[in-house]
Amino acid sequence: MSTLDVGGYSSREKGVAGLLGALAALLLLAVLTGFLAPAYLLYLVGLSAMYMLLSMGLNVQWGYGGMINFSVAAFFGLGAYGTALLTASGSPIAGGVSPVVALFGGLGLAAVLAVIIGYPTLKLRDDYLAIASLGLAEVVRIFILNESQWTAGSAGLTGIPLFFSDWPVLGDLTYPYVFYVGGTPLFYTTQSVVTSLLNVVLVTVIVAAVYLFLRRIHRSPWGRVLRTIRTDEDLAETLGKNTFAFKMQAFVIGSLIMALAGVFYSHLVLFVSPQDLQPITTFYVWVAVILGGTGSDRGAMLGGFTIVAIQQGTRFLTDTGALPIGAAPLRLMLVGLLIIFIVRLRPEGILPPERELIWPDSLGGGRDE
Amino acid sequence: MAQILQYLANGLVFSSIIILGSIGLSLVYSIADFANFAHGDTMTLGAYGAFVAFGVFGGLGGTALGLPIGFFLALAVGMALAAVVAVLTHLLVYKPLDTDSIGLLITSIGVAFVYRAVLQAIFGTDFLQYDISRSGPIPVLLETLDVAVTQRDLAIIVSAAVLVVALHLLLQRTTLGRKMRATADNPDLARVSGIRTDRVILVMWVVGSALAAAGGVFLALYSQLDPRIGFNILLVVFAAVILGGIGSVYGAMLGGLLIGMLHELTPLLSDVGLPVSNAYAPAVAFVIMVAVLLVRPRGIAGDAS
Repeated sequence: MSTLDVGGYSSREKGVAGLLGALAALLLLAVLTGFLAPAYLLYLVGLSAMYMLLSMGLNVQWGYGGMINFSVAAFFGLGAYGTALLTASGSPIAGGVSPVVALFGGLGLAAVLAVIIGYPTLKLRDDYLAIASLGLAEVVRIFILNESQWTAGSAGLTGIPLFFSDWPVLGDLTYPYVFYVGGTPLFYTTQSVVTSLLNVVLVTVIVAAVYLFLRRIHRSPWGRVLRTIRTDEDLAETLGKNTFAFKMQAFVIGSLIMALAGVFYSHLVLFVSPQDLQPITTFYVWVAVILGGTGSDRGAMLGGFTIVAIQQGTRFLTDTGALPIGAAPLRLMLVGLLIIFIVRLRPEGILPPERELIWPDSLGGGRDE
Repeated sequence: MAQILQYLANGLVFSSIIILGSIGLSLVYSIADFANFAHGDTMTLGAYGAFVAFGVFGGLGGTALGLPIGFFLALAVGMALAAVVAVLTHLLVYKPLDTDSIGLLITSIGVAFVYRAVLQAIFGTDFLQYDISRSGPIPVLLETLDVAVTQRDLAIIVSAAVLVVALHLLLQRTTLGRKMRATADNPDLARVSGIRTDRVILVMWVVGSALAAAGGVFLALYSQLDPRIGFNILLVVFAAVILGGIGSVYGAMLGGLLIGMLHELTPLLSDVGLPVSNAYAPAVAFVIMVAVLLVRPRGIAGDAS
């Protein structure tokens, strides 16, 4: 028998699962007792799923391939703007296209930009890549902010439909909804119970599909080459691999997953603005990946979930009025301290990649032929 | 023609700010060996330090370069504050870390957030201004050259020049400066030669952060003060450092001058028919940086190895 018990779970993994389970139970309880609106819970689930997608996308680039991409916000934004510009009633160029079609608009934009950004920058040294990609992401944001004839500028895009809004039967089941915390309206939306639920189902399917896809390619020969490139690029080159091509492929795949998150975000929040493309979005996703465990897709998902907990949790903390600090600085402070402490205390993250890299069959006890 | 002179004059002011920022970034890059993303927020920190100090000293009589004497005292306080915070950050955060340059880079983002969060929590996100009345353009320059330069602009250029010359003298004429150059060039060799590199690194943090703070103060004087000014300008400062060549203080100055000028010359593009508005000035700096990196990965003044 193998010494590595691939079937079992480590105590840390059990701990994390237990904690998440407890949190989920708590949230459900809050909904049942009327403390938390069901619509808000659905929104939270959608938001977590979106951050999970973003961190899984970055994980392909940084975790698998070692590329320091600081333009996460740009790819997320292109996905969001791509679909919003095509579907929104407030869109200055098109509008009215079905979200199912617009999805490909967002993805297409992101793929084109990935090649445009990737081609010059992926040849650069690590830290130059970081700075250059952050700069190019800022160029994208400045463009969207200033070219208001195409993008509606700083006003942002409104009138984005829900993903399933053009489906017959479901379209009518909506009611206006305002969510209050301590008397202040926090969150306005037109809630449609069935379509919101469908949204959650949709995003769960997307997250699961992306996760399974990534797990498959991570273990494939392609994933192995990428890991070699991450560890020692010269070695991979010596072995006759076209490292640039591999990095480009990983860069595009990661960017497409980020754009997918953006598309979903548009149809979840129903509003996008250049504010969503601020570098802070990129850094949130970075925290998610290094917190979860660089190179680990389960870690990326855990990290994505944690980010939403920080973002939304700080609202509740400051709304109680017990803290002498506003929600925005508190959030920034927490994220900053989190970064410092992870690098110092647990650089490998909470769920570092372990068994993910090994096919269970390849260890004894499997289907030996 | 007057138009171009005006752009160049603006460029000189902006370059002064960028040069002050890029020197410190370059020093950290060469000695501590990482891209310090907290450098922009160090600039902001200095600007707020000076803002508070100016509230205290602002009433002092007398003027220099058209600005109250109290402003220069406040500037010194801002520089000292940034230096103290940077040294503490180095001792508490960076030094105990056992990680590579990428780990340090990521940590510095965390540090940047903590600085900014503290400033936001204390001062909020509103725009602030130093309480110094603005004067119009200097008449002589306006009449002879048709260029609008305010006393404030002139004060920024002169102060920056004084600081840069002081740094030059420190680097070239003192033993400490020689040690700094040796450490920047090759830390290991410097250490085995008997230089206490630990101390030199501390001095480097002090010098770099103090100059950054001065840049931040001038930036706030030039436009306005809010918790994001430093971070917003960081990418342009990076562009200057990389353009000049990482590890070379003089390269950083040259890069700062070029990038600052190009930044303010952006309107020329629309004068010649290219539809690039002023909002794209940082973007132009960036594209130039990426282009330079592709052709000369070590920058203009970088050693060719």
